[in-house]
Amino acid sequence: MDAKLKETILNPIFKGNPITVLVLGICSSLAVTVTLKGALVMALSVIVVCGISSLILSLLRNTIPGRVRIIVQLVVVAMMVILVDQVLKSFEATYAIDKQLSVYIGLIITNCIVMGRIEAFALGNKPWPSFLDGVANGAGYGLILIIVAFFRELLGSGTLFGIDILNRFGYVPNNLVILPPFALILLGCIVWVQRSIQKDLQEK
Amino acid sequence: MNTNNNVYTVIYTTVIVVLVAALLAFVSQSLKAKQDANEKAETISQMLTSAQYGTKAELDKLGNAAKLDKYAQEIDKAFVINLDGQVVRELEGIDVYSPKQLKRENYNIKGGPNKTGEPELPVFIFKNGRTVVPIYGAGLWGPIWGYISFENGTATMTGAYFDHESETAGLGAKIKDDPSFQKEFVGEVADFGQANVIEIVKGGAPKDAEGKSVADNKIDAITGATMTSQGLDAAIDTWLAAYAKYFLAQEKSCQKSCCEGKEAHDCKEEAHDCEQHKCEEE
Repeated sequence: MDAKLKETILNPIFKGNPITVLVLGICSSLAVTVTLKGALVMALSVIVVCGISSLILSLLRNTIPGRVRIIVQLVVVAMMVILVDQVLKSFEATYAIDKQLSVYIGLIITNCIVMGRIEAFALGNKPWPSFLDGVANGAGYGLILIIVAFFRELLGSGTLFGIDILNRFGYVPNNLVILPPFALILLGCIVWVQRSIQKDLQEK
Repeated sequence: MNTNNNVYTVIYTTVIVVLVAALLAFVSQSLKAKQDANEKAETISQMLTSAQYGTKAELDKLGNAAKLDKYAQEIDKAFVINLDGQVVRELEGIDVYSPKQLKRENYNIKGGPNKTGEPELPVFIFKNGRTVVPIYGAGLWGPIWGYISFENGTATMTGAYFDHESETAGLGAKIKDDPSFQKEFVGEVADFGQANVIEIVKGGAPKDAEGKSVADNKIDAITGATMTSQGLDAAIDTWLAAYAKYFLAQEKSCQKSCCEGKEAHDCKEEAHDCEQHKCEEE
């Protein structure tokens, strides 16, 4: 794999993470990180939507009229979001999670990461790198989601994936952790850790 | 090719939109059966929750098939009544009302341009002596609905479960997520003779000396969710008022059979604790 492609995949995971560096997709990362299961399904949904939308729009990029390109992007992204939502609703295993995530699956369409990557990358690159870029950005987003959800479920409910962990040792779940503000505090901590490792992100 | 000319732009967008619409319509049609099955199982688990067959979390651990089995096993009878409380038809097998059907009946109860016919209201009587009826209405952002269970032949509530489409997480969504709110309905008594069958009040429902809620028709509203609480109050009042004649008649007939010392079906199990003075009055 050539260096550029590798960079396309690895950059969004850490150095150019959409949440901690580009500060996109904050809203949903506060809302869906109460349980690990929810965060995992949300992460996978965003990966699928981001990857396939980028692929489709990259294939179409030379035919899209410039003046209506945002509308065409919107149609494709909306289609993917509805497809994901419909599929989640159809399976017994994911129906409850879809209900729990409720509006946030539909709101993937407003997730700036999706449209942002299409506009910035997919419209100017070949399909394969565009697909990888979409998937990698979805994964970067998902990684942060899962880290936040791990701490919130562990400290807020004493469980992981619904299985008792801390609860076994008489831990009393902390209700503050369940509330959205704590997700913001956690995100702040993650940004702090990342910037102390990656000094070039620090502002003078 | 010039992709910026007007004709091209119009044709291009039209084709894209029609293609996407066709694909989505196809997918929606082909997945509909599975989605309906999931929704039905969810409705059943909500009804079983309100009838006190376990908590929602416990019931959700059962699969779809197990939920349907449990319903088939526990349902005593289910039928549809009209506004006069008369039975219109029986509901055979596993026949429950989806939120969509509740929406239709909600229009029929309220009247107006969306009315499609006379209201047909479902009543579900379970083997554990609970009568479950649905409610439906508007919350702050979208529809809310739910199920309230009563002790057979009385106006005493034994449980409730509410669901919503898009109420605010952490505030209005508590009607679904907060079991302590749903528990508040237990033991309260609906006032079927009045327009305000149940009142969801701000600032706390009346409490007795021990701090327990008085058995009246008042329920504590949810802090920070005034609009959802009001919507739920209106939904419950509209629906229970529509059921009022059925419940009042049921109560009367149970009281009567109790006074005559007869065991009656669909009445409270301990039929002997009917109030003696009420019997003497008659």
